[in-house]
Amino acid sequence: MAYRILIVDDSPAMRTFVRRVIELSGFELSVCFEASNGWEALDLLRTEWVDAILTDINMPGMDGQQFLLRLSEDELLRSIPAIVISTDATAHRIASMTSLGARGYVTKPFLPETLRAELERTLGVPCE
Amino acid sequence: MFFVQALGNAPVSELPGPAPPGEIAARLTFQGEPPGSLTMRVTAGAARSIAADFLGEEQETVSDQQTAEVVCELANMICGSLLSRVEGATTFNLEAPRIVPPSEGPAGGPWTTVYTVDLSNGALSVTVTTETPTCPEPAQSAS
Repeated sequence: MAYRILIVDDSPAMRTFVRRVIELSGFELSVCFEASNGWEALDLLRTEWVDAILTDINMPGMDGQQFLLRLSEDELLRSIPAIVISTDATAHRIASMTSLGARGYVTKPFLPETLRAELERTLGVPCE
Repeated sequence: MFFVQALGNAPVSELPGPAPPGEIAARLTFQGEPPGSLTMRVTAGAARSIAADFLGEEQETVSDQQTAEVVCELANMICGSLLSRVEGATTFNLEAPRIVPPSEGPAGGPWTTVYTVDLSNGALSVTVTTETPTCPEPAQSAS
């Protein structure tokens, strides 16, 4: 099965990199959408369904925390697993984002296999 | 992620001034305990090489804009990684990194640490400035 992923990050370079890493990791990717902040992501999610969301925390407009909160408040969107990708590796931040509904957390910098493993774990993809 | 080979520490004789021609500088400030800023400078050629590797492009096709974005992202990662290691760290909030114009000097502050590393095709330096020490002095025991 190939998956539809949404990448939410205000850095175009980072969005390009994450998409490239997913492709290189061998993860079964069907479609990869991009958004530069939470508002854009919510707009996109009104018309497109995705299987998982990868989101940064610090973004202008609507940041990752507010975005996760909005997802959790929506009956339909709250079922989409969200993985946070961030430079912040503190236990405090990880706990905070998890309490807001994040199902996974990847710290930058990361290896391709790390991101793939977190995606597959979050999506319940059986181990090969 | 950035495929950069560091050759070793470079000598630091003085605090870096404004970025000279041929260097790109990115800066971000952070709020927390303590607040401060991080400035990263990298040789322009090395920056383009790093950007090409990061984006999976050939160096000749990487634009100045893309190079600037990657330099900012690298500074962001270094800063976040550094702050995550502060013992007993509270939550730090990082501002968005920005490219510092050549005319702008280094961020001032009483507590400054500079780290410079030679790369295979240039050099990279990181200057961290905080308003108070990151690690407070240990309390003197009564004798």
